[in-house]
Amino acid sequence: MKLKTKTPLAWKNLTHDWRRLAAALAGIGFAVLLMFTQVGFQNALFDSQVKIIDDLQGDIFLVSKAKYTLAAEKRFPIARINQARSCSGVSGAYPLYSELTTSVLRTMDRGKGNRGYPLRSIGFYLDDPVFRLAGIKSQINKLRPPGTALIDRKSKAKKFNVPQADDAGLARRDLELANKKVTLVGTFDLGTDFAHDGNLVMNAENFAKYFPHRKRFGDPLSVVDIGIVHVQQGFTPDSVKQVLQKTLESDVHILTREEFRTKEITFWDKSTPIGTIFFAGKVIGFVVGMVICYQVIYSDIAEHMPEFATLKAMGYTTGFFIRLIFIEALLLSIIGFIPGAIISRIIYGVLGDQTGLLMLMTPMVIVFVFTTTVAMCVASGLLAVRKLLAADPASLF
Amino acid sequence: MPAQTTIPATSGAFVGDLQLPKTVKVHNLNHYFGEGELRKQALFNNNLEVRRGEIVIMTGPSGSGKTTLLTLIGTLRTAQEGSLKVLGNELQGCDRDLIVRVRRELGFIFQAHNLFESLTAYQNVNMAAELLGIDPSIAQGRIKSLLTRLGLGERIHYKPKSLSGGQKQRVAIARGLVHKPKLILADEPTAALDEQSGREVVTLFQELARDEGATIIMVTHDNRILDVADRIVNMVDGHIKSDVAVLEASVICDFLKDIPLFGQQTPTTLADIADQMLVHEAEPGEVIIRQGDPGDLFYLIRSGSVEVRIHDGKQERKVAELKEGQYFGEAALITDEPRNATIVTREKSIFYALGKEKFRAVLAASPTFEQELRQALFSRQ
Repeated sequence: MKLKTKTPLAWKNLTHDWRRLAAALAGIGFAVLLMFTQVGFQNALFDSQVKIIDDLQGDIFLVSKAKYTLAAEKRFPIARINQARSCSGVSGAYPLYSELTTSVLRTMDRGKGNRGYPLRSIGFYLDDPVFRLAGIKSQINKLRPPGTALIDRKSKAKKFNVPQADDAGLARRDLELANKKVTLVGTFDLGTDFAHDGNLVMNAENFAKYFPHRKRFGDPLSVVDIGIVHVQQGFTPDSVKQVLQKTLESDVHILTREEFRTKEITFWDKSTPIGTIFFAGKVIGFVVGMVICYQVIYSDIAEHMPEFATLKAMGYTTGFFIRLIFIEALLLSIIGFIPGAIISRIIYGVLGDQTGLLMLMTPMVIVFVFTTTVAMCVASGLLAVRKLLAADPASLF
Repeated sequence: MPAQTTIPATSGAFVGDLQLPKTVKVHNLNHYFGEGELRKQALFNNNLEVRRGEIVIMTGPSGSGKTTLLTLIGTLRTAQEGSLKVLGNELQGCDRDLIVRVRRELGFIFQAHNLFESLTAYQNVNMAAELLGIDPSIAQGRIKSLLTRLGLGERIHYKPKSLSGGQKQRVAIARGLVHKPKLILADEPTAALDEQSGREVVTLFQELARDEGATIIMVTHDNRILDVADRIVNMVDGHIKSDVAVLEASVICDFLKDIPLFGQQTPTTLADIADQMLVHEAEPGEVIIRQGDPGDLFYLIRSGSVEVRIHDGKQERKVAELKEGQYFGEAALITDEPRNATIVTREKSIFYALGKEKFRAVLAASPTFEQELRQALFSRQ
């Protein structure tokens, strides 16, 4: 029998009254759940903003310096693509075109159209390997005829009411894109986001026909929305990026995949209220958790004032009491986190199915919420410990 | 004249081995509660010395300051004015570290048990053992034997809610004693206990005092345990009204009883007289009283011996020798005449002296006293 272990007072005090422990765990678990759903929603929404980036095949991306977000219709000259193609370490550079405000898809009913809603039209040269999406790659040949496009299956059904079940039915649907007839020859999966309610992809020649006004004078395909650069084997994206930075004019941002993602997410996070809203949500979760945790620890202290005062009289020091409460807070956060995380995992699944958002409990998310939970409990514990330090052993006699 | 002190004879300060260390030394201690206009003095010039191994019982009505004094000695309050030494450490103006160190050598037994409901009896007691870093196997043995001794052998691993009030109090007592404290401070330790377990607790106290040299100061109103006290301190309104070493007081009373003058007095009166006496110290050859001087004190010889010399006009001659337990100086007090003899110490001696006023007050209180005295004086010649 090992006798060296000290009396686990923090654990004993915490678990002594199981009713209060259950209430504490429910409260902290709730705070954990709140934070998990906020983080989950935020990540899911941010992920959907950059879903298009994830679905592109490329190592380095070029965007106009004026393009503050993907939805901003700022372009750069195609000359940059050609310049990039000639740089060492670059195996290919391809333009990607997109149009939103004038890309209005109208569903026609017996010759009459509804008012139509804008969606994102993406144009690319069919031979350019720009998409990772298997759904597009396998249907490249369908896009060769004029006036054809694929529609994103996740496009908002209320606005773009097209039969998705079978391609034949889809092709028969009478539709107009930018006031010109369009034939949908198939579907793919990309997803919507805050700026885009739906997506179409088509070949670049068709794209030029639908949106000739992209450039006031000259070829509509001479201005590019996103440049996609492939790096040769044996080169790192960072080294190639440096070469590009030296070579290209400074009207474009040259971004690695990760930088491109970060830039886009940062825009939504910092320049729109979305980040603030979710931040507030997380803060509320944190505060709720802290209040509950404070309440639990405070009442534990308040109920045991004479006992703690006795320990003080015996010669236990301030350091001991701070450690005691610290451990208690740590234990609370750990045992409160576990049920909270389990329930959150279930809710992630349910919400993911319901909203189509990608709710992922990644290690990053778990570490973030866990760290926040520990911080929350420890902070409230240290607030409550002041009460304990005020315990006056002189009041015992 | 011998060195006159203000130390009461019954304090026992001059008996036995004078070198015995003092566990507690309180000197001119004042204590106040409140601030500014509301400041109220709770202790007035308290003086108290407690020797190692002594069992002290503090009594007095509530609000008399005994608890305040106890918390001051226990380092639970900060000493404000005067000197307070506990286990050799001056607590007046000391720092936190010293307080913590002193506290670890103290054992507290409070009126309320203050046990953690979440811990078993064993674990509660162990909280005190752990703090001192006592080797766990030794601590285990000590906790078990203490709890068994206190009648809780069967309930070592019970939580407080399965224990009766008295049992909880005994666990708390075990917690206060497990680390072999040098000074035990107890507040009504036996109040919640039945006769038998109360007796067991005080017997334990006595053993600790005798075998471990532990000093015990307790506040109690339980007169069933008064017999264990070596010293009884009585407080009234913040003053130490009396501080009596029980053994010494009884020695004095025994001496007084044997003196025909006081023979008829009740024990209470004798104790009162004893209380009024002050200690005088004298070196060998010192003149205690001189023939022809006015008399103002009555002396009882506590230790040492003296010669009685009378000057008959021509020369001084030794007429008698007085030893421990004998007395002198009474005649001049009764008759208001000058001293009728000279007293010189033969060795280092200690006397207990009673002032003229107090002597007369006792005399007046007893109608037969003067008669007895005259009888006594007569029979001595």
